Amino acid sequence: MGSRVTVPAWAVQAYSRWRKRRTAWLAGGICAAVAALICSPLLMIPGGALMDSMEMQRIFSPILGEGKGFAAWHLIPVYPTMGHFYRLLIESPAFYQLFWNTAGMTAAILLGQLAVGLPSAWAFAAFRFRGRDFLFGLYVVLMLLPFQVMLLPQYIVLHKLHLYNHPAAVILPAVFSTFPVFVMYRGFTQIDAEILEAAWPLSLYLPQITIRQAGFAFAVAVLTLIPALFVFALGQDALEEGIAYIGVKR
Amino acid sequence: MRWRSKRLLFLMPGFSGVLLFYLLPFLEVVRRSFLKSGSGAFVGIDNYRAVWGNGAFVLAVRNTFLYMAVGVPLLMGISLFLSMLLRNLLFRRRLVSVMLLPVAVPAAVMILTLQILIDRQGIINGVLTKVSEQIAAFPAFSAIDYLNTEWALVVVVCSFLWKNTGYMIILWLAGLAALPKEVEEAAQVDGADRWQNWHYIIRPGLSGSFFTIGMLSVLQIFKSYREVWMVAGSYPQEHIYFLQHLLQTGI
Repeated sequence: MGSRVTVPAWAVQAYSRWRKRRTAWLAGGICAAVAALICSPLLMIPGGALMDSMEMQRIFSPILGEGKGFAAWHLIPVYPTMGHFYRLLIESPAFYQLFWNTAGMTAAILLGQLAVGLPSAWAFAAFRFRGRDFLFGLYVVLMLLPFQVMLLPQYIVLHKLHLYNHPAAVILPAVFSTFPVFVMYRGFTQIDAEILEAAWPLSLYLPQITIRQAGFAFAVAVLTLIPALFVFALGQDALEEGIAYIGVKR
Repeated sequence: MRWRSKRLLFLMPGFSGVLLFYLLPFLEVVRRSFLKSGSGAFVGIDNYRAVWGNGAFVLAVRNTFLYMAVGVPLLMGISLFLSMLLRNLLFRRRLVSVMLLPVAVPAAVMILTLQILIDRQGIINGVLTKVSEQIAAFPAFSAIDYLNTEWALVVVVCSFLWKNTGYMIILWLAGLAALPKEVEEAAQVDGADRWQNWHYIIRPGLSGSFFTIGMLSVLQIFKSYREVWMVAGSYPQEHIYFLQHLLQTGI
């Protein structure tokens, strides 16, 4: 029993290659499963946007307090309709107005944040000056304050500046928010995440939507997801470049 | 001296706005906290004492801290683990884009979907009931009213994780990409195992990211209030009664 078995070198290599491949498959499998889990509720959106209101009321009747049993969902509607899109795109001119208002405001906020936040972040990252750590800490605290705390005093400031009921009342506080400073400070190429953050406050178009109008809401969701998908597709390149840049910098 | 004043030029435009729209309003809030509302007479710490003695405030503070204590470490841990798995994957970009999608969904639609899923007669309860009926080994299941029991906090934490995991993964991947590859390769040649690689190379290299991502996670916790309010209203189940509810409705 004393003699040791020598394992041939090719077998060792094959074994380690197999182990590496197994690890890669396992990692890929876990990540794919998580990605599927995350986007599974979103699969309801396209079907819901094309679903007839009557069909939706029928499958939701238990939730609406009109039936026993449980709600169901049809991934592909039984009675598909373009009615919600028609109502949204043809019958609701307000939608376009809101869309372009949102786009304009988002653009103004982003430009302002770049113009003002970027130099600030650079100052914090590149210069050593007295009180720097204290000031940066203060920026972090101001970033974390819930907006309800600032609501009243900010309103007073805007009122004194005669900006109330003016787009600037939304744009200016957002431009001077300390959040982009914090995010750019780290050298993260956060600009794309920033766009996501501004992610289309178009959701304001759906303030008090109830389940009865769900189909309409899903149609809005489809239309708001399209520009976001474009931003992702464009942003991913910038992001990868940015990551590579950070890699080079250090 | 001249260079020093130039430095200030970088900071000043931003700082003046921060001062006007954030710092001064905040200081005004602090000042008023020592005054009697209405008459404006100085009352010292009376307001603070009144707040501490208020049951709703104590409940809101406890819930908010519990939510943070559960949500932030879970979010940071899960997203870090996934980004460690993702960083050498071929399909990394596609997977990350998919995980980011929840950020782009309008909040109202997210809430609708959530309601359809977690209602007492919703889809999750429906599926669980069916499973327990079909499979004998599965224990009997009676529908849970998720939003009106202590499950409410679980729902809130899960939807918080659902929405923010992709976002935090992007930040971790950026931090991981900044680590010099050569050090890890050298360590591997010297026979470092995966645990040593994590403990001696990756973890210290990410210390800056830990701070940033931790702060942003806390920020997202506060931001998630909007969804909580949309799904449960101003007077929710007592486990998801947070500080912002209190601020919004007053004591």
